[in-house]
Amino acid sequence: MTEPGIAASTSEGGEGPEPRPGPDGQGLDQRPSRDGQGAVVSLRGVSKWFIGRNDPTHALSRIDLDVSDGEFVSVIGPSGCGKSTLLRVVGGLVGYESGTVEVAGTTPAVARRTKQLGFTPQTPALLPWRTVRRNARFLSELNARRAVSEPLSEQESVALLETVGLGKFLDSFPNELSGGMQQRVSLVRSFVLGAPVMLMDEPFSALDEITRNEMRYLLLDLWARTRKTVLFVTHSIPEAVILADRVLVMAPRPGRIVRTEHVSLARPRTTAMEDDPVYLEHVSRVRAALHEASAR
Amino acid sequence: MSAPEPAASAGPGAPETAASPAETAEPSASPAETEQPAADEERAPSPPRRPLRQLAVAAAPVIGVVLLFGLWEFYVRAAGVHVLTLPPPSRVLRHLVAEPGFYWEHSLVTIREATLGFWLGFSAAMVVATFMAHSRFMERATLPTIVLLQSTPVAVLAPVFLIWFGFNIWPKALTAAVFCYVPFVVNAFTGLRAIDENAYELMRSVSSSRWEIFRKLRLPHSLPYLFSSARLCLGLALVGAVIGEMFAGSTGGLGNTARVAQTRLLVDQLWGSIFTLALIGVIANLVLVAVEARMLRWHSSQTTRS
Repeated sequence: MTEPGIAASTSEGGEGPEPRPGPDGQGLDQRPSRDGQGAVVSLRGVSKWFIGRNDPTHALSRIDLDVSDGEFVSVIGPSGCGKSTLLRVVGGLVGYESGTVEVAGTTPAVARRTKQLGFTPQTPALLPWRTVRRNARFLSELNARRAVSEPLSEQESVALLETVGLGKFLDSFPNELSGGMQQRVSLVRSFVLGAPVMLMDEPFSALDEITRNEMRYLLLDLWARTRKTVLFVTHSIPEAVILADRVLVMAPRPGRIVRTEHVSLARPRTTAMEDDPVYLEHVSRVRAALHEASAR
Repeated sequence: MSAPEPAASAGPGAPETAASPAETAEPSASPAETEQPAADEERAPSPPRRPLRQLAVAAAPVIGVVLLFGLWEFYVRAAGVHVLTLPPPSRVLRHLVAEPGFYWEHSLVTIREATLGFWLGFSAAMVVATFMAHSRFMERATLPTIVLLQSTPVAVLAPVFLIWFGFNIWPKALTAAVFCYVPFVVNAFTGLRAIDENAYELMRSVSSSRWEIFRKLRLPHSLPYLFSSARLCLGLALVGAVIGEMFAGSTGGLGNTARVAQTRLLVDQLWGSIFTLALIGVIANLVLVAVEARMLRWHSSQTTRS
């Protein structure tokens, strides 16, 4: 499905996307952030191995990455390329063998303990015995004493639920909601936490395409209101591009970042942009990079 | 796990899979506001209500019981069955109404034993299941003991308990407790262990403590499992108490009144004890169902989507 011409332009050092010729490939991203502050997430030469029953797997190989404050970064790659592992390393949920990771000015472990990471899992993972309103506040209730960042207030979290169209379902239980509605609660829940860094692990992968497309714009809406830093893992190329300021393409064995695509579309993103030639160009470049990553 | 799991079918049905078909039917472009809950779409095409039919469905349980007793009464009278073999239910009921104090007094004895046994079995099971849910070692070490206990007809333990504790409430309560322990521990363990992996990771992502995970995830998750085993164990606690009364020496309780009636051929008292025990079991179950409906409003087994 890849045209040869596009594939050629993706190879290492190929010219970047037109307006912003950012450093390509695995180079450090020095782009200044929105607020002019330094990187909120910063990885230097991070490597991780999984010692399985068979051969050890090189899950991450010398990853360098800087994500600036308020930036939206998508991570895409074939299965087993380590993108979920990357997210878990940043989130302090798994360890790593070498390199340094800094999150919100501290280590992942401390960031996790002080609740500075808003995690969104693959499934909604709502608690069936809690109403929508109480599910949205679940993360902020936990381990509350050590939280550094202030969670949203009750009114603010209800406002977010209203933003995503759940105003009438505040007191419903999850089993009364559709899959898409449940996933919206899950999104709101991670934003209510008020953490500076959001980690999203394919949160829309279980949804049908129509709902999924809707969810992308809802997420952007929530993000625009809160301006958090987002690391978003996905399998979907259109999703990666339409959401992000920057798309990281990863390749497996060993897991590494093989291309960085700076998305030059304006904010706020709209459905109309999905027909924009600039958008389509980004998509095809990411697709070509992915194709190459899977082929190796 | 080789133990039977009565709760397995009643486990929390995954809400996302249950609701997803409705999701695909949503209009594509419309924003979130116009969306209907899945329940509404399911309700829409239901057939028109027929009051008579609804009444019949509502009264069906009563009709079933009345029919059973009616047939029994009819058979005993028509076939001329000797009253010692099988008395007609009307005679038993008349006897019960004539001697309410006697049965009330002995009911209280049995209920006390069964209740104590029920809670003892439940408490022990919760403690053991909690350890099992948190440690692979405890799980592997404890499972064979449960299988062992399950394979033993625990009624034979009643005389042992008599030797240990003598003529008091404890041998009966302990027999009841042993009866309840196995279903409770198996279900409690399943409920505490089989939690949503993603919810667990979510809690870990903010460094929730073990205690917090237990209290806010494991324990509520185990409730449907506990309720379904509680239904089973209400009956088992009564069985245990009665067996204790019959085989572990007693001067009171409905197991005792039945045993005495048998040796003295007091057919009314024998059947009166049986009826009273059945009534206790039914009432206990109704109470449990009501409590369950209140506490598990969120659960898919409570299909009252209002």
